Amino acid sequence: MKLDRRAFIELTVGASLGAGAGITFSPLPWKLTDDVAIWTQNWPWTPVPSEGQVSHADTICNLCPGHCGITVRKVEGRVTKIEGRQGYPVNDGGICPLGAAGLQLLYGPWRVPGPVRRVGKRGERNWERISWDKAIAEVVTKLSDLRSKGKPDTVACITATDQGTVPQLFSRFMEAYGSPNYIRTASAEDTNELAMKLLQGKDASVGYDLEKANFILSFGSGLIEGWGSPVRTIQAHSKWRSGNGKKAATVVQIEPRLSNTAAKADMWYPVNPGTETALALGLAHVIIKDSLYDSTFVNNSTSGFAEWRKMVMSEYSPGDVSATTGLSAAKITNLARAFAKAGRPLAVWGRGKGTTPGSLYECMAVLALNALVGNINKSGGVWTTLRSTDLGWPEVPQDRIASSGNGKPRLDGAGTQNYPLVKYRPDELPKIINDNPEAIQALLVHEADPYFTTMDTNRVAEAFEKIPFIVSFSTYFDETAQHADLILPNDHYLERWEDIPSPVGFHKEVLGVSRPVVDRQFDTKHAGDTVMAIAKKLGGTVANAFPWDDYEAVLKEAMGADWDTLAESGYVAKAGSTPSGKFEFYAKPYEPIELEGDSYTQPLTLIPMELMRLASGAIGNPPFCTKTLEETELKGNDLFVEVNPKTAGDYGLADEKYAMLETYRGKAKVLIHLSEGIMPGLVGIPKGLGHTGYDDYLAGKGVNANSFMGVVEDPVSGLSATWGIRAKLTSV
Amino acid sequence: MKDAHHKGEGHQEGHGTVYKYGMVINLDKCTGCGACMVACMAENNIPFRKEDTNDRLTQNFWMRVYKISNGGSFPDNDICYLPRPCMHCEGHGHHNRTPCVTVCPAVATDYNHETGIVSQIYTRCFGCRYCMAACPYHVRVFNWWDPKWPEGMEEYLNPDVSPRMRGVVEKCSFCFHRLQRARNKAYSEDRREVHEDEYQTACTQACPAGAITFGDLTNPEHKVYELKKTPNAFRLLEVLGTNPKVYYTSSRAWVRKAADVYVGKEGSGVTHT
Amino acid sequence: MSTSEEKERNVAGGEQRTEGSSWRFLVPVIAFFAGFLVFLCIGWGIFPKILYSEKQQPIDFNHQLHVDEMGDCEACHYFREDGSFSGIPKSENCIECHESAMGEHPEEAKLIDQYIEPGKEIPWLSYARQPDCVFFSHAAHVRMAGLDCMTCHGPIGESEHTRPYQYNRLTKYSRDIWGWNIAGIKTNTWDRMKMDDCAECHEENGTNQACFVCHK
Repeated sequence: MKLDRRAFIELTVGASLGAGAGITFSPLPWKLTDDVAIWTQNWPWTPVPSEGQVSHADTICNLCPGHCGITVRKVEGRVTKIEGRQGYPVNDGGICPLGAAGLQLLYGPWRVPGPVRRVGKRGERNWERISWDKAIAEVVTKLSDLRSKGKPDTVACITATDQGTVPQLFSRFMEAYGSPNYIRTASAEDTNELAMKLLQGKDASVGYDLEKANFILSFGSGLIEGWGSPVRTIQAHSKWRSGNGKKAATVVQIEPRLSNTAAKADMWYPVNPGTETALALGLAHVIIKDSLYDSTFVNNSTSGFAEWRKMVMSEYSPGDVSATTGLSAAKITNLARAFAKAGRPLAVWGRGKGTTPGSLYECMAVLALNALVGNINKSGGVWTTLRSTDLGWPEVPQDRIASSGNGKPRLDGAGTQNYPLVKYRPDELPKIINDNPEAIQALLVHEADPYFTTMDTNRVAEAFEKIPFIVSFSTYFDETAQHADLILPNDHYLERWEDIPSPVGFHKEVLGVSRPVVDRQFDTKHAGDTVMAIAKKLGGTVANAFPWDDYEAVLKEAMGADWDTLAESGYVAKAGSTPSGKFEFYAKPYEPIELEGDSYTQPLTLIPMELMRLASGAIGNPPFCTKTLEETELKGNDLFVEVNPKTAGDYGLADEKYAMLETYRGKAKVLIHLSEGIMPGLVGIPKGLGHTGYDDYLAGKGVNANSFMGVVEDPVSGLSATWGIRAKLTSV
Repeated sequence: MKDAHHKGEGHQEGHGTVYKYGMVINLDKCTGCGACMVACMAENNIPFRKEDTNDRLTQNFWMRVYKISNGGSFPDNDICYLPRPCMHCEGHGHHNRTPCVTVCPAVATDYNHETGIVSQIYTRCFGCRYCMAACPYHVRVFNWWDPKWPEGMEEYLNPDVSPRMRGVVEKCSFCFHRLQRARNKAYSEDRREVHEDEYQTACTQACPAGAITFGDLTNPEHKVYELKKTPNAFRLLEVLGTNPKVYYTSSRAWVRKAADVYVGKEGSGVTHT
Repeated sequence: MSTSEEKERNVAGGEQRTEGSSWRFLVPVIAFFAGFLVFLCIGWGIFPKILYSEKQQPIDFNHQLHVDEMGDCEACHYFREDGSFSGIPKSENCIECHESAMGEHPEEAKLIDQYIEPGKEIPWLSYARQPDCVFFSHAAHVRMAGLDCMTCHGPIGESEHTRPYQYNRLTKYSRDIWGWNIAGIKTNTWDRMKMDDCAECHEENGTNQACFVCHK
């Protein structure tokens, strides 16, 4: 049959219709429609977390000196959540934002994957992976070389604390090696310890029984913003705020800025910054004058009261103090009376989070106020919390080189004639190195980030450039690690054993042990093991100083009889021993800590603001926390500074507009946030931003507040007492 | 304060026990620390980006702590923090229902009368964002970007909560998966009811101040039952009749007053930053 | 249906009018049926073969043998202490019996050599895996509602060999979700595991139908 045009069309149309009908009567279109609908809902690049057995493990958070108990929730081997540990004596189930964001620190791209050596220039972030043996060998070569040249004292070591076995292993290493330059980073603990030495004659720090007090007078302490052990303090705050219809405690905040603590307080007294000591002594004046002090305690348990009283009565009348502080005499008198009559009053010291040493006189004046109401070592009062670095280890064997090195004075001058009572003066280091580039030939840094946390960032950077050899033991690519020559990464705190000292500011002694709750994620090594491996390779007496096989042996031995309890429950809460020393009143009129800068060209005062949602110490603020910042603190990558609208009016500044912030130490463009919560004439700058280390998730946001601040030496202690700096703001 | 339970109760649907989960947040205790926000982000696999800071228009938050101010001049200025999860509005009667549920053209969100929880089904949502416009509390957020975690960080994701894809709306679920988990446990012990302490949201658990109390608003044995009736208790934008299940308490009058003021600087002198 | 018949008539009618040849009208009819049949075959026979990809399970597992030995499903597919369901057993469960060979079966030798000794997990392919947006509680169904495993999973416990795992190329879901009948027709409760099937049972039993009951 001939296939004509017509037949062709008939065939095609027929077959097509048939095909259509066939398809329609088959499941194909209906099934495909359904599948395509599902397909549009499936985004295969969206991760699907794996399921599995859920388990929980307890350990201790090591991200700040608050040391909360934490419980990690695990799904098979993965940590999916960090929660507060129920029943832990410090934080009983609560957690802070940083602690909860510890997950991001564990799994983040800022982890150092293994031992690395710098390639290219410092700070360029070019690294080459090397083996552990090679990394340790490099450190040993360098350190042996310095030793053989008779310069062991040019090696310095910085750690964040000197409490606990790991910092003590570093300290011991330094002694065995022959350098007196073991240094702890700065904090309010420096001043607390010094004050306790002077007032109580003890190696101790200050613990506050916040929970039992019924009148809290805080001298600028950020009680709910990270001061002390943050969760514990917030929980104490909740106790003060509860009570049947009546608040359980009165809270008074002395601070020039409406911080969260000030906002939550019953009374907020913005006094002229830097005059807190005068206020404390003025309050003492009223208490003595009205005979409201605890005479039994003062007569029996203190010394030096008569002379101190004379000073307070002659120089700190409410009228005088009113002129200095800007607070009316009536308010001072009323506050003093309310404090003394409260029953269980407590005066608290330590500015902000307590990350800077501060003024020794201020600390002593606040402690004296507590002594005046008989509030020392008793319920609801100030406690002497003993701080010991003696772990009962055998004496360090020293060869000739070591004893000669150890015989040299410390570079920072601590413990020398000028600063006899101070143990460490870390803020001095940049100056020392910049003045004498030969001073430090090698620097070891463990669990600290001095490059970021030390005042005067620009000078710190200069000093780092001058140190020929820097070894970091950091878990993360923090700023110090980024500028090191070698990184020998420590295990993450969720991956390792370590004893955890008592929380800062806590009046009870809680000894904890953190334990690995997750498998080691990278090729890291416990810093305790690393430092011992270095010592053993160095040989001789340095090696002999470390008779232990590994860090676990060190830990077990140091924990002694407590080990079984620690291994079982993770902590031992000890009954604090009450030291019986007398409280000493120190009768010296205070000298105000002068601000650096020129009051004419720099008419404003820049003060740091420490925020609960912003980690301001050695740990970079993880992305979770950065997200929680207020829109008036950070916008994009631009940092806000807080000024009163009145100040803005005086200097032509406008809300949310750029301005140039300048001090003697640094200069940067910032945004202006107008706030009625800050005293006119002040500029508040959030502390903890402006990271350059870690990676793009953390770096480049805002400016480091430390880069504007210089070091102002406390006239008595020699510690850094910087609380602000003169500044200029010009609109741009 | 209006009484929370007068209508729409007692739906004895199916054979399940009827709960009405809600929260009472003590603003006197809340310190604005942000632990609730972080705990929520960790619990609910909330993504973040390199550029992320805190831009309210684009950032993903289920729980957000707002800072409000009385607008006073120095030194009479005062601030208060206000944590804001989803209010899980119940609405009143048939004409004034949950604002987001009524507008959703995809039935991607519904009000569960057995739990009082407003759901959000991501695979069902097509991202029209009507619900975001309808919600008076700004609790809903849109996924403008693909959720991407830096290499290695997917390890911490919680398998109980599905990570959301780009282009859908999400919001606080009162950690509904925790109720599912608690129910599993209860069922395996041959009981239907879930105890108060077995189902707590991540923010409640994390709050170091103990400012958040969570439970069944209709159960006299749960702490929230009494707390919501305290004289200082209030709800946000009560005037709209959304009948939210999140209550706040504050001893400060200006804070209570601020709860019903919507437009920032206009009028009341209360500013919302 | 009526439309296609009408079209058929129209086409045929047109032909008769113009051509007059009595058989000629059959051309389009035959073409229609040819097309119909071909595409019916494609739709029913070839399409499912293209739509689904097939994989073999790593080990040919004998359920019947294990059920006989172990007693019931929950011996291996157990509930955890927190009420969650363990699902497919892990190697560590297998080790309890198979640390060393119990018999001489080649599949057991494979289990020991390839997975247990090197300490690896067996990459089982889960027939009943629901997508990530689904929350399914075994406790609610098995413990509370007293459903038998078979209600959803069928008589898998009686199988002596593992059947091949098929998954949809478009959706990546296991074929068991849609069911093995390509038309989606089910004769047993376990033939399909789609949302409609869940909803159907929930409706019958008066269970809560809210989204958050089954979704996460």
